[in-house]
Amino acid sequence: MKLTDKQKFQKLIWDPEHKQFLGRNATSWSKICLFYLVFYGMLAALVAICMWVFFQTLDPRIPKWQMDSSIIGTNPGLGFRPMPTADNAESTLIWFEGSNKTNFNKWVNNLSAFLDKYYTPGKTEKGTASIRKCSYNQPPKRGQVCDFDVRLWGECSPDKFFNYHRNAPCIFLKLNRIYGWVPEYYNDIHDLPENMPDDLKKHIASVKPEERNTIWISCEGENPADIEYLGPISYHPQVQGFPGYYYPYENSEGYLSPLVAVQFLRPVSGIVINIECKAWAKNIKHSRADRTGSVHFELLID
Amino acid sequence: MGKKKEAKPRKLNRKDQSLKRLENFKKEIVTDHHTVPIDVLCSRLETDIERGLSQYKARQLFMETGPNALTPSRKTPEYIKFIKTITEGFSLLLWIGASLCIIAAVIEYVYRKKVDTDNLLLAAVLVLIIIMTGIFMYYQQNKSSKIMDSFATMIPQKAEVIRDGQQITVNVKDLVVGDLVDMKFGDRIPADVRITKSQGFKVDNSSITGENEPLLRTNQCTNENILETRNVAFFSTNAVEGTAQGIVIMCGDHTVMGKIAGLTARLHPSITPLARELNRFMTIITFWAVILGIIFGVASIAIGYPWIDSALFIIGIIVSNVPEGLLATVTLSLTVTAKKMALKNCLVKNLEAVETLGSTNVVCSDKTGTLTQNKMTVCHLWYNGDVVQADISEDQYDARKYTETPGFDILIRCATLCNRAEFINTRTPRKYIMKWEVRGDASEAAILKFIELTRLEGDPDEFRKAHKKLIELPFNSTSKIQLSIHALANNCLMVMKGAPERILERCKTIFINDDVEELSDELRQTCEKACFELAARGERILGFCDMEMKDTYTYSYPFTIDPLPNFPTEGLRFVGFISLIDPPRPEVHNAVETCKTAGIKVIMVTGDHPVTAKAIAKEVGIITTDSIEDAALFYNADHDETKDAIVVSGTTLRELQQDELDAILYTYNEIVFARTSPTQKLQIVEGLQRLKNIVAVTGDGVNDSPALKKADIGIAMGISGSEVSQQSADMILMDDNFASIITGIEEGRKIFDNLKKSIVYVLASNIAELAPCLMFIVCNIPLPLGILAILCIDVLTDMLPAISLAYEKAESDIMKRTPRNPNVDNLVTFRLYFLAYCHIGVLEACAGFFVYFLIMYEYGFKPNRLFGLRPEWDTYYINDLEDSYGQEWSYEERKQLEYTCSTAFMIAVVVCQWGDVLACKTRLNSIMVQGMTNWFMNVSILIETLLAIFLTYTPYMSYLKFYPVGLHCWLYALPFSGLILLFDEYRKFCIRNYPRGYFYRETYY
Repeated sequence: MKLTDKQKFQKLIWDPEHKQFLGRNATSWSKICLFYLVFYGMLAALVAICMWVFFQTLDPRIPKWQMDSSIIGTNPGLGFRPMPTADNAESTLIWFEGSNKTNFNKWVNNLSAFLDKYYTPGKTEKGTASIRKCSYNQPPKRGQVCDFDVRLWGECSPDKFFNYHRNAPCIFLKLNRIYGWVPEYYNDIHDLPENMPDDLKKHIASVKPEERNTIWISCEGENPADIEYLGPISYHPQVQGFPGYYYPYENSEGYLSPLVAVQFLRPVSGIVINIECKAWAKNIKHSRADRTGSVHFELLID
Repeated sequence: MGKKKEAKPRKLNRKDQSLKRLENFKKEIVTDHHTVPIDVLCSRLETDIERGLSQYKARQLFMETGPNALTPSRKTPEYIKFIKTITEGFSLLLWIGASLCIIAAVIEYVYRKKVDTDNLLLAAVLVLIIIMTGIFMYYQQNKSSKIMDSFATMIPQKAEVIRDGQQITVNVKDLVVGDLVDMKFGDRIPADVRITKSQGFKVDNSSITGENEPLLRTNQCTNENILETRNVAFFSTNAVEGTAQGIVIMCGDHTVMGKIAGLTARLHPSITPLARELNRFMTIITFWAVILGIIFGVASIAIGYPWIDSALFIIGIIVSNVPEGLLATVTLSLTVTAKKMALKNCLVKNLEAVETLGSTNVVCSDKTGTLTQNKMTVCHLWYNGDVVQADISEDQYDARKYTETPGFDILIRCATLCNRAEFINTRTPRKYIMKWEVRGDASEAAILKFIELTRLEGDPDEFRKAHKKLIELPFNSTSKIQLSIHALANNCLMVMKGAPERILERCKTIFINDDVEELSDELRQTCEKACFELAARGERILGFCDMEMKDTYTYSYPFTIDPLPNFPTEGLRFVGFISLIDPPRPEVHNAVETCKTAGIKVIMVTGDHPVTAKAIAKEVGIITTDSIEDAALFYNADHDETKDAIVVSGTTLRELQQDELDAILYTYNEIVFARTSPTQKLQIVEGLQRLKNIVAVTGDGVNDSPALKKADIGIAMGISGSEVSQQSADMILMDDNFASIITGIEEGRKIFDNLKKSIVYVLASNIAELAPCLMFIVCNIPLPLGILAILCIDVLTDMLPAISLAYEKAESDIMKRTPRNPNVDNLVTFRLYFLAYCHIGVLEACAGFFVYFLIMYEYGFKPNRLFGLRPEWDTYYINDLEDSYGQEWSYEERKQLEYTCSTAFMIAVVVCQWGDVLACKTRLNSIMVQGMTNWFMNVSILIETLLAIFLTYTPYMSYLKFYPVGLHCWLYALPFSGLILLFDEYRKFCIRNYPRGYFYRETYY
């Protein structure tokens, strides 16, 4: 009996004569399933054992590869908050209406969520963290982490809507954490790079010498026009940078990255202002393409 | 597939065209070369009807007109061939991939004004790959067609020419207009020839007209139209019967054939089993790749990936599934094998025929020249009622016993005259007569040598000249007799030789007891008994008879044999038998044995006497039992079922119904067909094919050519084979040695085996390429293996080892297992997929992921962190993605990490492929048995590794998304590579030791 292609296909799917599904009967299917169950089970066990053995060689607290031996390198990225929202992922534009509460609230909420752990420190890693207050004179001991005094941010607090409602927004800057990375500070006022903004140079000179172990932060408009539109900038905390006692990061419980709140006091409305912020230390190189050491964003206030 | 549909109407058109052209030719060809009287033609062409052209004239003409060959018809231009190679098969899939990339890039540019370098790069790489594989394929094909061409020139056609009255053998292409040529059955007509003399000469014009009816050719002009007249034989048609002499009137492109060349003689070779298998595999893979691609594409869009990413999945999946190097591997292995076989004296005319031979399960072998040496020597004589042993030594010491006896001279006279053989370079020193070169058929040559040795009638040549031949009816396979009439002093003598029973039935009297007696039934039985006794020893017997013709038949009598002899051909005087032996080739016995162990049935199909056939069959091992069934009894109720062997004679065969023949072919393992005609040979082949056998036919004569053509693979003899048989065959045994077929079968099977191995090897890495895509979509982990890395695995690192498997030597079971059944044992089977995908492939994927997770962990991302991380990982604006150690990774940094992992994954696959290629070396044997002597493979593994090193550690490779990885990454995959090999060794161990076990049933491919 010659079968048509369709019949052949049907017979392949289900052959009632031999009670075969896809060319196998129940016994055959169960056998092959059992075989593969055992085979894959053993394989999975093997892989799992290999992984487990291997993981024993790794420290759960200390990365195997650090800094230059790792891909992460020694040039930390500089980031800003609030983050652009997912619906406009490619852009770095912070665009809001100070008069429209629902409009700026998303930025405020974004910031609040981000800053939550700073306001309730030790919330994530409860108990084990040994948090203490640090200062330039009292760096943390091994295993200790420094508290971050949110009052230092001054005006830039959630209660005051980070001043978005007054068209003087605060932008928070953060430096990527790299395990074991120790900054080399610009703490000698005679040895500052030429491309460092003069404002910052003056500021460094005005800072007490013991507080100069700081990763300095500077923000400015990218073009002369932007500088003009941007107007004055105020930095919180006053030291205008990330204090050195937060470094190195050693994956201690409760560690909080230092943040700098940059407040643009009187930016011109209705115009996109290009802003570039830079972190300054001798071992930070600025690269816009890799977004390390410096960060770029735009501000538009309606 | 689209191509097939296109091709069909075109083919029809061409045929129509050619028919139309042929019609036009009938009108166009205006010539009177065939109508003018022969002497007019001779003077016109400055030739002579007896002596032919002069050597000088022939040379001069050759300089003017050039070789007698067709200028090759307009070939497909090289660039079109190249374009074909890059648009066929898998290349098409890659083109789709490349165009998807470009479309994605264009859309990206139109909507976002951003140049999408990744996609453009991918498109460029894909196109590069297509072109590279195209160039490789093109090179391979070119090379193999060159090899095929060189094979063609190894079998030049010869023609017998008479120049300056001397008969010489020249290459057909050296013929010129005016040459006097001799033609006999089995030849291809060397040019357009006007017949001057002919004896029962028939040609098959099928290469021109398409009708293969043998047409009579005489020297009578019967029609004005050259195509219709009887006295012209056309270039490249086949002489099927008789002999003729004629003058070349047209050469080369001026011949009728030359004018219609390429139009009608186009051969459409039927699709070979290998091509069928490859098409099947390509269809399956294409469907699989496209369906999988679409499923994943749709799924990824459904889960919310941007469609550009989805397009990338589709490309990745298609690319990872396509075995880009496969076709090149196939062509290469076929070419390698064809070359290797040529060294072993097997010329392959059609590349893919090599594999066909491998799947052969029945060999129908001709006896003479194939199984035997075709060196006939006279062995016994029977005359005057006695058998005498022939003496073929130089000194003729023993010959004195019989030379003086009465009857011997009569027999020798008959044998001398009824013999067309001639010595070439006669009158070399009278030494080693047995080694003198003879022009003519083997048994005639043997008889001639015997006559020369006895020299009873003096020089046989002189003797023949003294008794001028008046007419001749050459031997043909239907009548099985040869006769000629010679002039004696006062009257004519008819001499006849042929198959003993045919001769005896024409005889009325017999020379016996020193006298001529009436051939009574009793005497007839005596003769038959003598004949039977000789034949039982496997000797070939020729009967001889003569008759002094009545006075009415003087030598001026117009003897003719067309259409029927105008003289009596019965009532002759029987003068005796000469029995010849053609000893079997020494190596045939072993070869037949090997065939049998390889599950190949060897059937002898011969025109010889059943008894002779049986004797030789027994000697070479085709028949191994003494209980031989008589075919005549087959349908009697009492036929013995236990019998394994059968001898079927042509007469019995004629009475059998088709299904009865099939039953015989099916039931018996040892079959000998004797006394068969060409049509019966064809019937046997067709019967075997009806039973779904793949049949190889060996043959040498023109009568074998229909069977050779019909067979799945026709094998002709290079030395003894007629040109026609060589034309219709797919393969030519240059040394006429049956044992060479074994080599062919072995090579053919090896090709198929090695191709399977190659496919397993290539498919295995597909899973390791597919799984990352899958995990990427399903588990949302950062992409473990990039598309460029997939491409590099497929076309760079995997390519050479896959090809090197073609060089793998055969395994021990190759000639011990039964031939593959083309309906069930496909190139790719479920088992093969199972093994490649579910065993080796999964192991490779495990190795890849193992390395991937380890490296991610080493750099800070623990596996649990990775799951679900993809959306953030791939988001550009997130510049501070936290790892398991709290470190924050910028986008660029983590992408570099991703590419590093991808490189490590690739290295893991490469390392696993080491194990894979070693595992694929054998299907059954342990690698310990097989050894590591395949140096091509060893080197290719090295090159594979060097390529991977090059990709990983060369600076600037970061543009192709390869980043250097630590040496330890190579070590991580090594245990898995070893596991692949070990597991496969275990699997093979189980297959070897439990031939009905689970592994055999589920994984033996």
